[in-house]
Amino acid sequence: MDRARPHARPSPVAAALAEAGRWGIFSGRVLRRAAGGPPAAGRVIEEAYRIGVQSLLLVCAIAVFIGANIALQGYHAFREFGGQDLVGIFVALACVREMGPIVAGSMVAAKAGTAMAAAVATMRVKGQIDALEVMAVDPYRHLVLPRLAAAVLALPLLVLFAVACSVAAGYAVAVHQLGVSPATFLDNVAAYTGTRDVLFGMAKGAVFGVFITLLACYQGFASASGPEGVGRATNRAVVSICVVCIIVNYLMSELMYG
Amino acid sequence: MIEYVNVSKSYGEVHVLDDVSCSIPAGRTTVFIGPSGVGKSVMMKMIVGLERPDAGRVLVRGEEVARLGERALYRLRRRMGMLFQDGALFDSMTTGENVAFPIRRHTRLPEREIARVVAEKLDLVGMPGCEGKMPSELSGGMRKRVGLARAIALDPEIVLFDEPTSGLDPLTADAIDELIVSMQRRLGSTFVVISHDIPGTFRIADRIGVLFDTRLVAYGEREEIRRSADPLLVEFFSRTI
Repeated sequence: MDRARPHARPSPVAAALAEAGRWGIFSGRVLRRAAGGPPAAGRVIEEAYRIGVQSLLLVCAIAVFIGANIALQGYHAFREFGGQDLVGIFVALACVREMGPIVAGSMVAAKAGTAMAAAVATMRVKGQIDALEVMAVDPYRHLVLPRLAAAVLALPLLVLFAVACSVAAGYAVAVHQLGVSPATFLDNVAAYTGTRDVLFGMAKGAVFGVFITLLACYQGFASASGPEGVGRATNRAVVSICVVCIIVNYLMSELMYG
Repeated sequence: MIEYVNVSKSYGEVHVLDDVSCSIPAGRTTVFIGPSGVGKSVMMKMIVGLERPDAGRVLVRGEEVARLGERALYRLRRRMGMLFQDGALFDSMTTGENVAFPIRRHTRLPEREIARVVAEKLDLVGMPGCEGKMPSELSGGMRKRVGLARAIALDPEIVLFDEPTSGLDPLTADAIDELIVSMQRRLGSTFVVISHDIPGTFRIADRIGVLFDTRLVAYGEREEIRRSADPLLVEFFSRTI
């Protein structure tokens, strides 16, 4: 892949389009390798463990506070018209369909995504990606594919944890702090969300995993030289992942529930 | 073995190589020397297909590198080893794992045999018994030695050296030069070196190419270049020394 070289400054729109095009070419190369066979299982497990362990506690902690906050806000909003018992519906819909995947995706982006971008960028800067090429080892297959497979496996599981933690926290606040009946809360959760919603949330997680890996590794591959290049690549990775995941989340919700 | 035919390369407005032609013979050490920024590294990267010429051709064993498909290029690269400027060792692997990496990727040798080859290569470069060390524990010279052990792990036909003595103190640089000479004699492979170190170049080279202002201004046997009365060469060598 060509590294960025100094040239006349294009307009922001042209620069964004060019960047999107380079990312598209990069992603095409990775996906073409994916079609050529699965990556080494050992490397996938290693990466999945790393992504899971790096992000699990954070995902659960954030999900707890998100769930608690949603219950609190929902309760006070519904109380205005006497519907405070409906808070279970609000918690279930928000957490299962939206916040679970978003929390898992954003925390993986923040922890594992930045780690991926920094690791790959460091390899680029130190000539290790060129070294792989010269040793006749395909860097896309060796560096990106295992991370891609690992993220696609780990993200749906993290979504499950995020959903469980956020709904449990919402339940705790609604029932123990705000006095909502436990049976009412649980009935509402069960009535308005089902396995299909949970599976769709997990599917969102898998799609986020694809984008997080491809964006993080792309920024790493495209890193400019020097420590500054690594820092910039990491920064660009996390910003682009957040923007893309929010847009993808909306598009998937529109597709499913719109 | 390796041929450059009217090779030119630019990055935007910046020309780095202009109409370079030469033929690198097999089984000898050829050094390309010149000031920084004259396209020496680019010239070397063209041999392994990391860079493509804008015009002209680079041929390795008669095959035009830029026209090779992915598989053919990887097949060609398996016959080559390259020592990068700072060794380019993988930080997450031990020294032994670094040297074993190409062996594990391209052979089906049992682990015991891999360990034997790794020990042998590390011994060859004067780093016996350091398999367990991490790259961060090694000095610059040691990293280059381990990088060389990795480059020759599969007994390549062509070994490329990107500024092998840059950033090293004079004593370590001399030791690396001696290592290159002894290694070439032992392996009999084609060694291609790029350097800006004049004394080192005359120590290790059989043939020397001088790059200046994007052009290959001189190319020939070491003694021929040393004795050249060409004013540009005389000035270049005397200035740099």
